[in-house]
Amino acid sequence: MRKLVGSRRALLAILALAVIALAAWFVLARLGRMEDETWGRIQREGLMRVGMDASWPPFEYIDESTGQIAGLDVDLARAIGQRLGVEVEFVNVGFESLYDALYVGRFDAIVSALPYDPLLYGDVAYSISYFNAGQVLVVRADETEIGESANQRISETNDLSGKKLGVEWGSEGDVIGRRLEKKIEDLSLENYMTPQDVLSALKEGKVEAAIVDAVSAYQFAATEGSVQVVGNPLTDELYVIAVQLDSHLLLKAINEALVKIREDGMLKSLQEKWFRVMSN
Amino acid sequence: MRSVQTPKNLSKKRATKLALAMALLLVLVRPTRPVVPLGPQQEVVTINPKMGVHIRLTDEVEEWKVKQTLSMVRQMGAPWIVEYFPWAYYEGKKGHFNWSHPDVVVDHARAQGLTVIARLGFVPEWARPEDTITSYLDPEHYGDFGDFVHAFVTHFKGRVQHIILWNEPNLSLEWGYRSVDPEGYTELLKVAYTRAKEANPQVQVLAGALAPTLAPEGDPEGLNDLAYLQRMYDAGAKDYFDILAIHAYGWTFPPDDPPAADKVNFARAELLRQVMVANGDGDKTCLITEGGWNDHPRWTKAVRPYQRIEYSIRAYEKALEWDWCQAVCLWAFRYPRPAKGYADYFTFVTVDFLPKPIYLEVQSYARGERE
Repeated sequence: MRKLVGSRRALLAILALAVIALAAWFVLARLGRMEDETWGRIQREGLMRVGMDASWPPFEYIDESTGQIAGLDVDLARAIGQRLGVEVEFVNVGFESLYDALYVGRFDAIVSALPYDPLLYGDVAYSISYFNAGQVLVVRADETEIGESANQRISETNDLSGKKLGVEWGSEGDVIGRRLEKKIEDLSLENYMTPQDVLSALKEGKVEAAIVDAVSAYQFAATEGSVQVVGNPLTDELYVIAVQLDSHLLLKAINEALVKIREDGMLKSLQEKWFRVMSN
Repeated sequence: MRSVQTPKNLSKKRATKLALAMALLLVLVRPTRPVVPLGPQQEVVTINPKMGVHIRLTDEVEEWKVKQTLSMVRQMGAPWIVEYFPWAYYEGKKGHFNWSHPDVVVDHARAQGLTVIARLGFVPEWARPEDTITSYLDPEHYGDFGDFVHAFVTHFKGRVQHIILWNEPNLSLEWGYRSVDPEGYTELLKVAYTRAKEANPQVQVLAGALAPTLAPEGDPEGLNDLAYLQRMYDAGAKDYFDILAIHAYGWTFPPDDPPAADKVNFARAELLRQVMVANGDGDKTCLITEGGWNDHPRWTKAVRPYQRIEYSIRAYEKALEWDWCQAVCLWAFRYPRPAKGYADYFTFVTVDFLPKPIYLEVQSYARGERE
């Protein structure tokens, strides 16, 4: 009996030690998580390095007149830097190398019209989105003013019955168009080589609606006019900012800055500015 | 004499019964592999019998996905497929082979009426030094690769009639991160070709497709494919392959862009052909076992989606015009999982089997429905 009591005590002691060790590990792990070396360095140096592929106007491109990188993302990154109280330095890297360059620390964040990719969720940390570049339905700007009855106007895909829909051949818009063609009565699909060709055809009245990506749609609306985006995006391609997985304090600061930039109307101003600037 | 039932032996009996019942239960409820029948023998219907695709079923676990992939290839109208059969997967221990997965792929492919071209490579750990990559093979293990080729050809006799020996040996990456060595590769070819023919004299042996590159002599990353092929001939490769495998990527150039020694485009295949002819090997044919175009919106070597459609179909048409070319197999039909980047824009079908517009357009071409 004494032997049994002794072994119970030993077992309890082992259990108690295990609980203490687990608690210590938990506290240390939490402390470890509090650290963010990247954020610490940014604060120490007062400098945040931003990676981008300057070949995607109007988000980022090389301004030929100045030789400098310009664009919506450049302004956005500077606005974030301002709210973080740090300067921003830009590093121009090819699009396919952006993630690798982030992993090895060539810069602290990617701000480069970067689509959110759920497949990379365990590899990098993403900010909230600041632009949806998904496929959108586009109609002529006078579509709501042409005096026809309201039920003939196009404000969503369900209104496409009996209409001609233009898409970029082979694109995601084409995929959506083929799907709609099967489900909507008398919808006919017209293929064009580029989004610009689709939107020109819409402007010229060769088709009554178009499905293209949001960047092409807004750019065309700014440069050529006469077309407008209607309804919600048909697909999501959310532009986000990416940081390394352990840059959680930096990510928090970026997210807070993005919320402020959105709330104070600056994000909208930047979009208006850059889609208009490209038209000039 | 009746035994006396004591509590001890009673519990023993119960325990035995319980164990038997558990075992029976385990047998009855154990997960079984779903049966995926090969189905009736199918036939590829196409106006162009030289159409093909490179598939990626090596890492596809589920058999129904293997069947679905191959069925969609057939329905697209492509009778040829290229598949990678990694040596290390099937011979984890010298002389011990496991053909269960490649059997599934090959049998389903044949049931769909497809002709399989098998690319062989990927060195197992036991055949290379520690801390080397899977493309590293030194001459003392050429015989081991030859043994594997012999076993493969023997096992698939009557089912796989074409094998490719190695892949892009003119790249350092594909030659164990060593300097490329056309003479060394030719030695490997001699060993493996001889063993393949011992197993089945009718098997068609393809020399490893060279990566299209302009890298000059001494470049640490690789060697110009035309120069490499010439050095293979100089080293005596002529008698050790039946068909030349070619990789023909178009990058941003259309398929009719004329070939030039200082340019990588689809028609560069013609220059490799010229090297063959110049070396008295014009009677042999070629097979384009990789190639094509990419339509990623932002990759620098990509084209627009409409260009990818037109160029791919034109590439298939060119195969009909090139009498020396047996087939064009474009990269890549479908991946078992996303590649997480621009490479996903090479595919014809998404991971979850949604046909992309290029699939539907190529299918329409193969059915003779295009204007």
